[in-house]
Amino acid sequence: MKWNSIRTKVLAALVACLIVGVGCMLALMHYSFERNAQVLAAESVTGSQKLFTILEAREISKMTAVSEALIMNPQVRDGFVAKDRTRLLELTAPLYSSVKREGVTNWMFHTPEPDMTVFLRLHNPPKFGDHLNRFMDKEVVRTHAMVTGNELARAGFAVRILRPFYDSQGGVTGYVEFGEELGQFIHAMKNQTGNDYGLLLSKKFMDRQFWADSSAVWKRRDNWDDNPSFVVADKTTASDSIIRFDGDLSAVPDQGKVLERFQEGNSVFVRGIFPIRDAAGNTVGAMFVVRDISSFYLAMRRTRAILVILTVAVLTLGMLFVLTLLTRLVFRRLEHIIVVATRVVGGDYESEIQVSSDDEVGQFEQLFEQFRRVFVDVMAHVPELQEKG
Amino acid sequence: MSQLNDIKQRIEEKIKADGLDAKEVKGKIGLRSGKVLAFISASTPDDPEAIAKLKQAAKEVLNLYL
Repeated sequence: MKWNSIRTKVLAALVACLIVGVGCMLALMHYSFERNAQVLAAESVTGSQKLFTILEAREISKMTAVSEALIMNPQVRDGFVAKDRTRLLELTAPLYSSVKREGVTNWMFHTPEPDMTVFLRLHNPPKFGDHLNRFMDKEVVRTHAMVTGNELARAGFAVRILRPFYDSQGGVTGYVEFGEELGQFIHAMKNQTGNDYGLLLSKKFMDRQFWADSSAVWKRRDNWDDNPSFVVADKTTASDSIIRFDGDLSAVPDQGKVLERFQEGNSVFVRGIFPIRDAAGNTVGAMFVVRDISSFYLAMRRTRAILVILTVAVLTLGMLFVLTLLTRLVFRRLEHIIVVATRVVGGDYESEIQVSSDDEVGQFEQLFEQFRRVFVDVMAHVPELQEKG
Repeated sequence: MSQLNDIKQRIEEKIKADGLDAKEVKGKIGLRSGKVLAFISASTPDDPEAIAKLKQAAKEVLNLYL
């Protein structure tokens, strides 16, 4: 192969086009994957946030319905009015077992203001008489109407309803509260979406002893010291990669945000986070969402491989076509002119150049043939010239 | 005797000995040296530059060292 030949230069240019083409295609695929992964992660965050809100509303409705039925029960009402804790426990314990199966984890009766202490905890009967002094307690006392929302308490972080309990004359005899651990939500969310979730609570809004107590109540490991600024209330996977976070939970925007894409073994995941607010509007925690995009990633890789093969095949065929065309239209005809020119100089005056076309090379063939005839004519007169000389 | 003509004869002998296509080989040597071999005869005056070019062409085309 001659390095300075037009054929080599054209081939080099075509190979360069092939490399640039494949490179551009790979870059485009990478950009497309990154963008789609970002969209999937954003969708996961938004969808999970909506699902969380729906579950929250559904559980509030359920607990509201249970509390309505309870308020209408005269035996329970009279037991609470009489402040007969044993009687109240006897009456409500069977119902607690039922509602517990439906996800209700906390059930409390509170004495009326000004004391407002815990009169009975169905989920922990031996413990009573303490003041909780939470935002929701203050709100229900202020409004004497049902208050709902997420609130931290001794038993943990739960979505709660707190409403007044009336005696037969319509006077407030105390309050009843139902709650569902938010940690439970993430398992329901995983069942519905297939994504993994992790619920974090900011230590800023929690009490060390609270957490130790709730860990004991719910028979879970006290993980307070695992992270410096937050505790993991619950997660749906054994992997800790789901809850890696160095930022400030309170800085997470309301609409949530996409964190990053990461790989574990052969699986590829995208991760996002959205804030969890309590009834007072404080960002007390956050929910991590992890979506497995391995199938999407594999499909993208397969598509990329097919595209690379197709691109290389098409461009190689294109290269072969261009080279064949150039060989037929230019190189072969030029080579013929060179052969004829060489032979004419060597004394073969019979070789002629056939003008094969009227294209640019054809015009050159015609010109060269005319030149050849002149040369042959001159050569034919060489002996005469020599004789004259 | 012309040295150019002597070289021409040595080239023709080599072509004959190797059984090569005389017109093609002479054409290549002629194009490389800028000297048409048919124009060289015993009376052709020697030109050092033409001799050097013809020797070089014979070496490149026929591997003939003169």
